[in-house]
Amino acid sequence: MKTLKIFMVLLVLTTGIAKAQFTKAELQVSGLTCALCAKATEKSLRTLPFIGDIKPDLMRNIFVITFKNDQPVNFDEISKKVQDAGFFVNSLKATFNFDNVKVANNYFSYGGDTFRVMNGADKPLSGQVAVTIVDKGFAPRSVSKKYLSQVADAAPVKPGRVYHVAI
Amino acid sequence: MACPVFSQELYVNTEPASNMATNSLGIRVEDQGYFTPTYKNRETLELMYGASRHLMVHGSVYVSDYYENQQHFEGGSVYMKYRFLSVDSVQKHFRGAFFTKLSSIDNPVVNQEITLEGDNSGLQSGFVFTQLLHKLALSGTISYLHAWDNAGGFNLPVANAKNAVAYTLSSGYLLLPKAYKDYSQVNVNVYAELLGKTNPGYGQSYLDAAPAVQLIFNSLIRVDFSYRIPLYNSMIRNTDHMYLVRLEYNLFNL
Repeated sequence: MKTLKIFMVLLVLTTGIAKAQFTKAELQVSGLTCALCAKATEKSLRTLPFIGDIKPDLMRNIFVITFKNDQPVNFDEISKKVQDAGFFVNSLKATFNFDNVKVANNYFSYGGDTFRVMNGADKPLSGQVAVTIVDKGFAPRSVSKKYLSQVADAAPVKPGRVYHVAI
Repeated sequence: MACPVFSQELYVNTEPASNMATNSLGIRVEDQGYFTPTYKNRETLELMYGASRHLMVHGSVYVSDYYENQQHFEGGSVYMKYRFLSVDSVQKHFRGAFFTKLSSIDNPVVNQEITLEGDNSGLQSGFVFTQLLHKLALSGTISYLHAWDNAGGFNLPVANAKNAVAYTLSSGYLLLPKAYKDYSQVNVNVYAELLGKTNPGYGQSYLDAAPAVQLIFNSLIRVDFSYRIPLYNSMIRNTDHMYLVRLEYNLFNL
């Protein structure tokens, strides 16, 4: 019986992992002001293996990114590419498919990393939901500060990089 | 909500505090010159590389007929710029950088102006601050120049200043396109720049107004035009009434 339970848990987890994915993201870059700068930033982002396509919205300094569904998304790499191009991430709103994903105590996992929902109030999440990463390097300093000051409580140790997201 | 950006900081006669993207290379071919008393011109080949998010380096070589009757190789310079300050939001930013330039040139010294762009062997160091607001990109530099004897046995004349202070103020504006939708749209930028130098203790100084027009094709190729008009001048120099034409090509993700 115990073996069966473990098997069931593993089954749920693995199917969850298989389906759980970031499908797209809206990346707004700050300080981006010239044609050359925008193009350099986009070309740099395109070298990341998990990025499928990018559509720039040059009026709003936004890159609409479509992720490949067979490669894990690494958000830190996105922030690094933008900073290497000489700019900063002003906001990163990523769409996550919550179907078959267990959100427990406002935590969910993806690709070995942990995501903490900062304003979730344990409400059930399903389908495509846009989450905004509020960590340093993904939002203006004031915004990061506002959210991350709530993390002062002894957060449980979670696997991988812990991202903080707002919904 | 964010609006289209009209300010531009790809200055023609100065460098902004911002750097090129890491691992990108800019290649510049430049022609500068003057028409009186006789037509003389200088070609510059400049390579610019984004070494990291904070550091970029340039290397230039110079060829001119300023000091001889035919074009000849004059020497080269290296330049580095380190960005130490960035305060960014979506459509505005404030940036600060430190820069330094070193040149070795083998021309005779006949001018009072110290320039490291083909005329003098020397060292230049200074700061640049760039403020980008919605409609206007303002940038200022202040730097110190020190000239050595030129290479090839061409010594700095005893009566010449060895030190100078340079200062610039630049502003830029995106004229076209009005609605920015595509990388392939041709950008037309206009610039107004003030370029000045003083040789302290020698009573020699100048201030030029340097209007400039810039075209950017396909977000890759940049063409610059500028002309320097002296507002006041008490310095013997080549840069008086000098024109500039430049072609720049950019390679990303090397």
